[in-house]
Amino acid sequence: MKRFYLFGFLLLMGFDTLAQISFKYAGTQALPVEASLAWLLRVFGQPWVYGAVVGYVGAFFTWMALLKHAPIGPAFAASHLEVVSVMLLSVWLFDEHLTAARVLGAIAILAGIACLGLAESREHAPEAAVI
Amino acid sequence: MPAAGAISPLVASLWLLNIVLDTGGQLAFKAAAGDPTAGDGLARWKYMASRPWLWLGIGSYVAEFLVWIAFLSLIPLSEGVLLGSINIVAIMLAGRFLFGERLTRLRVAGIALVTLGVAIVGLGA
Repeated sequence: MKRFYLFGFLLLMGFDTLAQISFKYAGTQALPVEASLAWLLRVFGQPWVYGAVVGYVGAFFTWMALLKHAPIGPAFAASHLEVVSVMLLSVWLFDEHLTAARVLGAIAILAGIACLGLAESREHAPEAAVI
Repeated sequence: MPAAGAISPLVASLWLLNIVLDTGGQLAFKAAAGDPTAGDGLARWKYMASRPWLWLGIGSYVAEFLVWIAFLSLIPLSEGVLLGSINIVAIMLAGRFLFGERLTRLRVAGIALVTLGVAIVGLGA
């Protein structure tokens, strides 16, 4: 179960990140935004929009596999790992800046997910002493 | 960023609608995916597709997408992320009351830290 969650949430993060990054590229490559057929053709005429589709579909199937066993409350919180990966990749790919607040937020998210992982390993280890 | 008091009734309504749709949609996905009688593999997907939960989840997701776009056309993305972090708490509570998910101290601490982290990222963007 430990490996199932670790692999599942990392895969989910990968698909979510692919979707977000692709969305950003697809949007910027199809500029200017306009309510026209030309804009739609520009959007669907470059590869990034398909990266977004793959990301969304992959994330959906991964999420439904995870929810077979994972409780929705902790799982939904853990799915926000994507916020951290997208933030870090945006620094590299889009020259966005890391502020102290954003780094602090990322650390809080990682610490929270570590707590959830620990909580889950205790759930599945009834022989461990309950504190 | 405007003070909380500056949120207009339209923004507040869209925010509330986003919470309801996100929570409802995630609960529907959990109801579909967590059904132990669904089986495995392709049979599981056929079973899920024959019942309303999966479709309710997908419908909520599509509606939420439209509400989110409308929401972000009225407020900056950073503020949207900040306000959206409350969904994590709403879904935790809903999981507790509808699926009887145990809220151990460690789980609550983890969920609170993630919520706080997402809110701080929103504030700091």
